[in-house]
Amino acid sequence: MIPAKFEYHRPDTLSEAVALLAHHGDDARVIAGGQSLTPMMKLRLAAPGHLVDLQAIAELRARGSVAGFVKIGATCRQAELITDESISRLCPLLREAALQIADPQVRNMGTIGGNVANGDPGNDMPGLMQCLNAVFALQGPKGGREVAARDYYEAAYVTSAADDEILTLIKIPTPPIGHGWAYEKQKRKIGDYATAAAAVLLTKTNGVCDSASIAMTNLGETPLFAEEAGKLLVGSTLDEAALKAAAKAAVAITEPAEDGRGPVEFKRAVAEVMLLRALKRAAGRAQ
Amino acid sequence: MEDQATLQSAVSFNLNGEPVLVEAPFGERLSESLRERCGARDVKIGCNAGDCGACTVLLDGAPVCACLTPTHQVADAEVETPAGLARIDRYAQRLTTAFARHGAAQCGICTPGMLASAVALLRAAPSPTLEEVQDALGGVLCRCTGYRSILDAVVAAGQGEELPVAISGGVGAASARVDGVAKLSGAELFGDDVAPAGAPVVKVLRSPYPRAAFTLGDLDAFIAQTPGLICVLTAADVPGENSFGVIPGFEDQPVFAESEVRFRGEAVAAFVGEAEAMRSFDPDTAPIEWREASAVMTITEACAAGTPHLHAHASQNVMCQGYVACGDAEAGLAAADVVVEGAYSTSFVEHAYIEPEAGFARVVDGRIEIASCTQAPFMDLEAVARILDVSPQQVRILPTAVGGGFGSKLDLSVQPYLALAALKTGRPVRMAYSRQESMQSTTKRHPAEIRLRIGATSDGRVCGFDFEGGFNTGAYASWGPTVANRVPVHASGPYYIQNYRARSRAIYTHCPPSGAFRGFGVPQSAIAQETLFDQLAAKLDLDPLEFRLMNALDNGVRTVTGQSFDTGVGVRACLKALAPKWRVARDAAQAVNAARVSGRSPLRRGVGLAAGWYGCGNTSMPNPSTIKAGITPDGALTLHLGAVDIGQGSHTVIAQIFAEAIGVALHDLSFVGADTDITPDAGKTSASRQTFISGNAARLTGEVLREKVLRLCNASGEATLEILPGSGRLQVLDGAQRHEIALREMPVDSDGYALAALESYDPPIKPLDANGQGDPYAQFGYAAQIAEVDVDMTLGLVTPVKFIAAHDVGRAINPMLVEGQVTGGVAQGLGMALMEEFIPGRSENLHEYLIPTIGDMPEVETIIIEEADAHGPYGAKGLGEHVLIPTAPALFNAIRHASGACITRAPATPDRVLAAINAAREA
Ligand SMILES: Cc1cc2nc3c(=O)[nH]c(=O)nc-3n(C[C@H](O)[C@H](O)[C@H](O)COP(=O)(O)OP(=O)(O)OC[C@H]3O[C@@H](n4cnc5c(N)ncnc54)[C@H](O)[C@@H]3O)c2cc1C
Ligand code: FES
Ligand code: FES
Repeated sequence: MIPAKFEYHRPDTLSEAVALLAHHGDDARVIAGGQSLTPMMKLRLAAPGHLVDLQAIAELRARGSVAGFVKIGATCRQAELITDESISRLCPLLREAALQIADPQVRNMGTIGGNVANGDPGNDMPGLMQCLNAVFALQGPKGGREVAARDYYEAAYVTSAADDEILTLIKIPTPPIGHGWAYEKQKRKIGDYATAAAAVLLTKTNGVCDSASIAMTNLGETPLFAEEAGKLLVGSTLDEAALKAAAKAAVAITEPAEDGRGPVEFKRAVAEVMLLRALKRAAGRAQ
Repeated sequence: MEDQATLQSAVSFNLNGEPVLVEAPFGERLSESLRERCGARDVKIGCNAGDCGACTVLLDGAPVCACLTPTHQVADAEVETPAGLARIDRYAQRLTTAFARHGAAQCGICTPGMLASAVALLRAAPSPTLEEVQDALGGVLCRCTGYRSILDAVVAAGQGEELPVAISGGVGAASARVDGVAKLSGAELFGDDVAPAGAPVVKVLRSPYPRAAFTLGDLDAFIAQTPGLICVLTAADVPGENSFGVIPGFEDQPVFAESEVRFRGEAVAAFVGEAEAMRSFDPDTAPIEWREASAVMTITEACAAGTPHLHAHASQNVMCQGYVACGDAEAGLAAADVVVEGAYSTSFVEHAYIEPEAGFARVVDGRIEIASCTQAPFMDLEAVARILDVSPQQVRILPTAVGGGFGSKLDLSVQPYLALAALKTGRPVRMAYSRQESMQSTTKRHPAEIRLRIGATSDGRVCGFDFEGGFNTGAYASWGPTVANRVPVHASGPYYIQNYRARSRAIYTHCPPSGAFRGFGVPQSAIAQETLFDQLAAKLDLDPLEFRLMNALDNGVRTVTGQSFDTGVGVRACLKALAPKWRVARDAAQAVNAARVSGRSPLRRGVGLAAGWYGCGNTSMPNPSTIKAGITPDGALTLHLGAVDIGQGSHTVIAQIFAEAIGVALHDLSFVGADTDITPDAGKTSASRQTFISGNAARLTGEVLREKVLRLCNASGEATLEILPGSGRLQVLDGAQRHEIALREMPVDSDGYALAALESYDPPIKPLDANGQGDPYAQFGYAAQIAEVDVDMTLGLVTPVKFIAAHDVGRAINPMLVEGQVTGGVAQGLGMALMEEFIPGRSENLHEYLIPTIGDMPEVETIIIEEADAHGPYGAKGLGEHVLIPTAPALFNAIRHASGACITRAPATPDRVLAAINAAREA
């Protein structure tokens, strides 16, 4: 039931893609892996007249680590991320989270760029990127700019990117050697979005925490970066009381909605458990 | 660049190694292009939303959902489909062998997706572990098998297991399925696979409201304005009765609503159009004015004073009632030393077979022919004739392979629309329900509201039992009367209860019709009875298994309907078989929990038990089966398979029984499939009746045909037959003597057989009187199961870790198929217990409506008990529905054992379990 009258473009370069978006304005939309867009189009939640396929654009697929950053091209697939040993070594949190997304078929098509650009509060990568303090590079008709993941999400399906901008690259500051990490996701079955999920990245020196970053998935209209909760941990020995206090502080900023995954209070309770488990595992892994 | 892109609609890629060029509109899904433009009907569509994985193909070697892949994205890529793989890939060939040996394809609709995913895995990891297989197949849903046979098959294929598959052996042999080859090669044709590409398509306009009045706009003008539309069908186009139903006297569901709709998803009109145009046609764009009215969605609302009646004939919205009483329930309860009571509620459960309803129809020589998935071809035939106002001879039903049924495909779905459209247009037409349409409009398991009080004396005997159950039957009757009748007969469980009263009512609401679903209401009542039995045992300080043994039925002991059996009452044997395992598991749980407490783990292990019983066949109603077989002048022995095999394996079971009776090997048989023109009526595939009833008919047919052969040559009863297809001869070896029957010289009957037999079987039953006393079934099957679970006390999350299922099947005609039924049934019981809840308007897809995935199903240890039944063929009993009856209560008892939480509402979703844990802590 995809609308009959739409057109498909498969440009080879980023500049052609940007030009197509500029030319067709509101009526155009990019498609990457199609794993979110195709179901939305079927449900008529999206009905673009022009689809601009990013898959043939070689420059969007590159990935690697350069000068203190892990760089991931927007159309890198989730499955590729899982099997990329060098990225997994530098930033194991990415792999741990990617393995908890959807199922093998979806991960074989779904892209990182699509996952972060989509703006669905259920997507796992946005919270993860906030935790990692990633920066998104955008390219539009007026040129390029960068937006921090922590500033990118405005409301469900609303981001700070303009309709004619393409997310081209994700830049993640390479976490320090010896950092601790964890992604804890509670879901109802394989392939389900999170009831609640928490991402944690922290570092410690001589047993004392010197940085901590906490973000959450599907507990509000946007991913939630729990800045205050992270600050509570800095200077602590990551003892149980400190972790509990941080988890409580993080839960305080959640605004889950009741749905098939459960009522609000239940989701908050699950969030707290996910946070505590992620914090404990990350603390245990940090050296 | 841009213009080129917008004009070009052809895309080229390699399909199973061959280059193809496909002309498709932009945005068409690869699944659609493969099926309709490349003839690759082995790619199945179960949801069109990425949820089920039935459409899995390999794209440059990686499994992807073809339904989420725009065709134009695969330009220049390598696409492999399951049938292509089965033909040329060596891993696929190993896998198909292993699948056949392990019974890993039941209905077979998920098999292509499973095989494609498994091939990709084996290419990357030739000898995968169980966990690797679980991960790799995580995106493919199966509703039949419970996954364990699939896991085992893939692991075995990885270990290079290539043992030949046996299709031989009579009764008792674990033969491979007789219909297995097509299911594994991708050649099997399901409801949507038979129509020629390009046939006109039917789409139904459905109500978006549970209750509304409506006025259709100018549909003729709409047809004229909409390119590709051929015609519209409404109530005015129904020549006969605009109603259908499955039980005589209860045909209350209209084919098309006439002025008012009673549930969300009810049909009001159907559009027929050319295939290309219908791809993008949305029936909701048709002119119609809706006037929504307030709806009653629950039993309580429907029974409240002043609530309007859905149907004029049903006062207080009560569609029908059931009643069974013996002794004096009140007096028994009054005399009890301990009494427990509870109020329980369960949800709508969706069958969620992976194949949505689909079919194809055409007019041939003035007769209407319908090929569609169905569980009841002869009922379809009668119902369609009634709607069309033609004689039954004018209708032919050709059942396709059925991609799962579980009860819902007993009712009409696509058939009337197809028949009306074929007649009106004079052209062959097809239709396939979307997943949403299937979930909105077809039947569900009845939600139940149950109150139950049970009393026992201090010596551990149940002495009083008072059951009251309300069943939400939705907007139309469907199988509601059957549920209302079955429940009071079964609510006692397989126990001797002296003083008993059970009342049931089926209540109309503005919900989708509730119908038949594995167990007809019994799984719901078993939840109440079996969990209260645990509470009684606890109050009496008795072990739950001990308590059940003290009250279990036996041969010669009367049931609550006053029936008693001389042989075959197997519940005690089931419980006894579990006893040693029960003690080991309970002790182990204690040890595990002690370690967890000291390790501050949030997990607690619990072990629960439940038993169940189920009467095979219709309740106190005749339900005969007829089976035909013949020997052709060429020498082929042909068995007519009139019973529909919905995946459970009835073709194989019936063939094994027939082969045993006539005295040949299974591979000596050839088959003609169900076709109402050439196969006699073997009745519907429901009520666990095919093994028992059609099996008996097959046994009689085999015996009679054998007699005829032996008589022809005066051979003794010990003689063996040799089937020599193509030879024109039949050989009979009688000791040292060899007889030859020259078949070509014999006269043939109207079916073209030189020798034939046709026999019927109808089980002996007695009607129930006003107190529900009588012999409702000729046999019951029995079961008892242990569930072991881990409960996360902080998340309310329940993770089953093992099931042990003891099932009395009388005689296991095919042990492999028995295990397949048990594991699949346990999976459905698990779903009902822990996750499945259909909410009209909210969970009409397979991501909101959860069914167990491969990650949810633990090991199931099956123990086969054979307490021979006096009436069953070779002692065999039915099994299909029994399997899921004990599962939910066993799980709930395990949850209580682990956590103290008392579960009274199904499903026990994590939020409910957590609330129950907290409530138990406070109490
Ligand atoms: C059954 C199923 C289960 C799933 N489960 C999960 C899950 O558990 N967790 C999870 O995180 N996700 C889940 N997903 C979603 C999946 O991960 C998607 O792949 C992902 O969200 C989107 O990636 P995509 O490449 O497919 O994007 P598309 O569907 O192609 O695009 C999604 C949206 O992003 C836009 N977009 C895409 N790329 C760009 C870009 N480079 N620049 C600007 N805009 C862009 C598109 O225009 C569109 O609006 C699931 C999907 C399915 C079908
Ligand atoms: S049909 Fe594609 S995933 Fe269900
Ligand atoms: S065999 Fe898997 S869905 Fe039927």
